[in-house]
Amino acid sequence: MAESYQPLRDLFSRAGYAFVEPPILHDARIFVELAGEDLRRRLFLATDAEGRELALRPDYTIPVCLQHLAGGPARRRANYAYLGPVFRQRPGAPGEFLQAGVESLGRTDREAADADVLKLALESAATLGVRKPSVRIGDSTLFAALLDALDVSLPWQRRLARSFGDTRRLAALIARGRSDNGARRRVVPVALGRERREAEARAGELLAAHGLATVGGRTAEEIAGRVVEKTELAAGIGARAAKVLSAYLALAGSKAAAPGLLRAFARRERVAIGPTIDRFAERVEALAKAGVDPARLAFAADFGRRLDYYTGFVFEIHDAARPKLAQIVGGGRYDRLLALIPGQTAAKGNIPAIGFSIWLDRIGGAP
Amino acid sequence: MTAPLILAVPSKGRLQENTMAFFARAGLPLEQSGSARSYRGRVAGLRGVEVAFLSASEIAREIGAGAVHLGVTGRDQVEETVPDFASRTEMIAPLGFGHADCVVAVPEAWIDVEAMEDLDDVAAGFRPRHGRRLTVATKYVNITRRFFAGHGIADYRIVESLGATEGAPATGAADLIVDITTTGSTLRANGLKMLADGTILKSEAWLVASRVPKLGRAQARAMATIVARVREAAAG
Repeated sequence: MAESYQPLRDLFSRAGYAFVEPPILHDARIFVELAGEDLRRRLFLATDAEGRELALRPDYTIPVCLQHLAGGPARRRANYAYLGPVFRQRPGAPGEFLQAGVESLGRTDREAADADVLKLALESAATLGVRKPSVRIGDSTLFAALLDALDVSLPWQRRLARSFGDTRRLAALIARGRSDNGARRRVVPVALGRERREAEARAGELLAAHGLATVGGRTAEEIAGRVVEKTELAAGIGARAAKVLSAYLALAGSKAAAPGLLRAFARRERVAIGPTIDRFAERVEALAKAGVDPARLAFAADFGRRLDYYTGFVFEIHDAARPKLAQIVGGGRYDRLLALIPGQTAAKGNIPAIGFSIWLDRIGGAP
Repeated sequence: MTAPLILAVPSKGRLQENTMAFFARAGLPLEQSGSARSYRGRVAGLRGVEVAFLSASEIAREIGAGAVHLGVTGRDQVEETVPDFASRTEMIAPLGFGHADCVVAVPEAWIDVEAMEDLDDVAAGFRPRHGRRLTVATKYVNITRRFFAGHGIADYRIVESLGATEGAPATGAADLIVDITTTGSTLRANGLKMLADGTILKSEAWLVASRVPKLGRAQARAMATIVARVREAAAG
């Protein structure tokens, strides 16, 4: 099965990606730590003789990144390609299925790298016989910039940013955040200082009383910090921010029209997100230069992935001829992943990384 | 001979005593064959029924697999043990005993955490600060995952607990727990508190039917008799 797909392999190789074959079996903790408990229920798990939990790889991205870190400096440029089986528990579908894709690491010309990778994804779909790809694009950095420009308090920024990609949850959060009816309470620093000291003392007593002071969990200082943060949370985000955020999330249009759409929005709502829109526009230009017609790409302001290592640009390709089928290609920028990999200290801070995976099992017949 | 209907009931403790008493009251006295140690039995006066004495979690699993037609077990066991429980099982009637709530409990010292949305904030902020995910000790892995996902909480890791879950925060095995409680006193004794919206489910013993196997005529008749009498006794 994996031996075929020669045209796709040739395409990746010609584009400068080197094929790698990372191990299938990994320490399960790595996936759970990076992708969260929700992924764990989809993992195929096994226990070794020493009681360690092992997992069959649920995707290639994390194993490829592990191999990259083991092979030299984290920030070096490298282009990897893969094609092989991945393993996930899927009700009503085989647990073992084929994925192919690429990971482009270390390129600091991010917008150009985004364009190159998306272009390769489209060429891959064409190579696999998908005649009518429909492409959806999102960019969470615009939403983050908007939160900042609207002067939303930090705890609320974190709450909202975390839900980006889950539009229903986000809408509910925005509705809650505005419920203070615009009477945005100014938090008094002196009162907050006292509140913090009292909370820290109380939390410290309770931690000590229950023997929790020394077990390495939350500290009294941390708890007190959040008591103060709750005062800020209670002040909400205000009616204006709520209105502007809701209007933003409803924006949609072609990628070609999107920079204009975004600039008109920023003018109308008087929000200073110009630099972020500029980078978005650069990517549109880079795509056009690479020969991808941006008018064919659909921009959706609310599209994002709820994994905290994704950092901005995301895309997915559907087969317009089979609209009911889930995405056949999923990709995006994950600059935070390398630094988050547990047990490694070489990678600090964001490292440019972008890639995509093709769900070969959703594309009929190996060419 | 036609195949019997399999009725599974708890094999030990208070749950077994209560079940035996309930079925006797419903006019379906359960008899263990041979000694009181036997794991097989019958319903006095009702033919074509084989009684299997199993643990509560085995009963839930066997109902989900369709190897047992009817059984007495906790709602918590059904929701934890049976994948896709809504389509594989039918909850016939609550029996009025074995009450226990499955709850999320955090250290009392977490004075900033009163509701699930607080826990969401704490979970998201935990890794950047501690270099590991927030951990939840529980026997109820599936129930916990569903409940946390329903509250949009993703940044945590479950540590499977095999007993004395309430002690996990104090030993440093986990940061918080999901466990069953009847009065909350064990939680309080361990310095833990429940969250305002952290009650995942209110469990008690139920008569549960499997939707998996196809019943023969005699089995269906026996099932209808048991269901009717249990419903009557549960209502009365």
